[in-house]
Amino acid sequence: MAIPEELEELAAEYALGSLPPDEHLEAEALMQKDPLFSLQVKAWERRLIPLVLALEPVEPPARIRGAVMKAITGDSFDSATVIKLERRASNWRWATIGASAIAASLAAFIFLHTPANPVNGQRYVAVLQAEGPGPAFLASIDLVNGNISVRTMGAPPQPGKSYELWAVGGGRDKPQSLGVIDASLKIPASKLGQLDASKMRDTVFAVSLEPEGGSPTSQPTGPVMFTGKLVPTE
Amino acid sequence: MNTAIDLPDRELDDLLPLIAAGDRIAFGKLYDLTSNKLFAVVRCVLKKPELAEEALQEAFMKIWQRSVSYERGSVRPMAWLAAIARNQAIDTKRRFAERLSSSTVELDQAAAVSVLPQAELAMELTRLRKCLSILPADRQDMVLLAYYQGWSREELAAQYNKPSTTIKTLLRRSLALLKECLDGNS
Repeated sequence: MAIPEELEELAAEYALGSLPPDEHLEAEALMQKDPLFSLQVKAWERRLIPLVLALEPVEPPARIRGAVMKAITGDSFDSATVIKLERRASNWRWATIGASAIAASLAAFIFLHTPANPVNGQRYVAVLQAEGPGPAFLASIDLVNGNISVRTMGAPPQPGKSYELWAVGGGRDKPQSLGVIDASLKIPASKLGQLDASKMRDTVFAVSLEPEGGSPTSQPTGPVMFTGKLVPTE
Repeated sequence: MNTAIDLPDRELDDLLPLIAAGDRIAFGKLYDLTSNKLFAVVRCVLKKPELAEEALQEAFMKIWQRSVSYERGSVRPMAWLAAIARNQAIDTKRRFAERLSSSTVELDQAAAVSVLPQAELAMELTRLRKCLSILPADRQDMVLLAYYQGWSREELAAQYNKPSTTIKTLLRRSLALLKECLDGNS
């Protein structure tokens, strides 16, 4: 796939939508790591877009808007939504964990993204969830690019407080802070260097509510609000 | 929905960074501006109303989640949104493995796209159609079936009674010609 013409062709077919599933996944992975390929795909999307923009608009049923808006505010997440998340990519799987040292009463739904590209498949997704209202945070952990990004999926803002993300277990004798989830919902990439991929299997991710700016000690001081765990499929 | 016809690219460009920052009101505006267009997109791929509705909902969840990765200026916002909707529709379709059915009717629908009265769009579309018209009729149909209806090589192979490797070659040649024509005329 190193030949430029082949990449161009792959980009064209990806934008067209005709790729078989394996090549579709390959193209998606390339989009992430190859800026040139990503540009080629965008150029193709631009070439073909008049066809889509020319479509006669069709008004969707009004209830869809309500469902979408509720889903992003998180106040109507239910198990069906979680199942949909799981179904969204058949190569994700979910599991619940029962008692954990930190949150015996919290149910957690865990997703592992099976690597689209086995060579560098080091991307993980954890949905951090409390028992009640549904997913609160979605944490994407990318060991290759060294990024942890956290997206709020309904965790209510807490004035004067900060959410802090922790890695617990997996050989750690105490919780390891991964940082305060700030307004941009990013965790400093440097934190990730301290995460050992081999320990991911047994690592629980937890979010605690801390004083503004994070825990004054190096340990959680506030209530653990949400937990989630990454479970390898292999 | 005149707003969608006017292709409010600039407005969308202003909304997306707000959405990336978690602004739900901005997201609601984006929904109002684009949902009828994106619903048209997913309905092309998914004939079953319940699947189309589910795909639209999931597409908007993806837009919400991926808004942080939108790069202003690198692609027209409607193209970015439509690509998410199309890919979602194709994913949904594959998941439910809809069978090939009434392909003739679908083909007619794909070929008979109604052009909206927007000067610039009409021009772009006219050029694209002109370039498509240099392809043999069956290749035009293949490209349109793949693009509008999300038909994979395998489905096209079944429809046209050709090996999927041949379909791959035909599609890629067609796209190369299309690119040459479009880029040469810009």
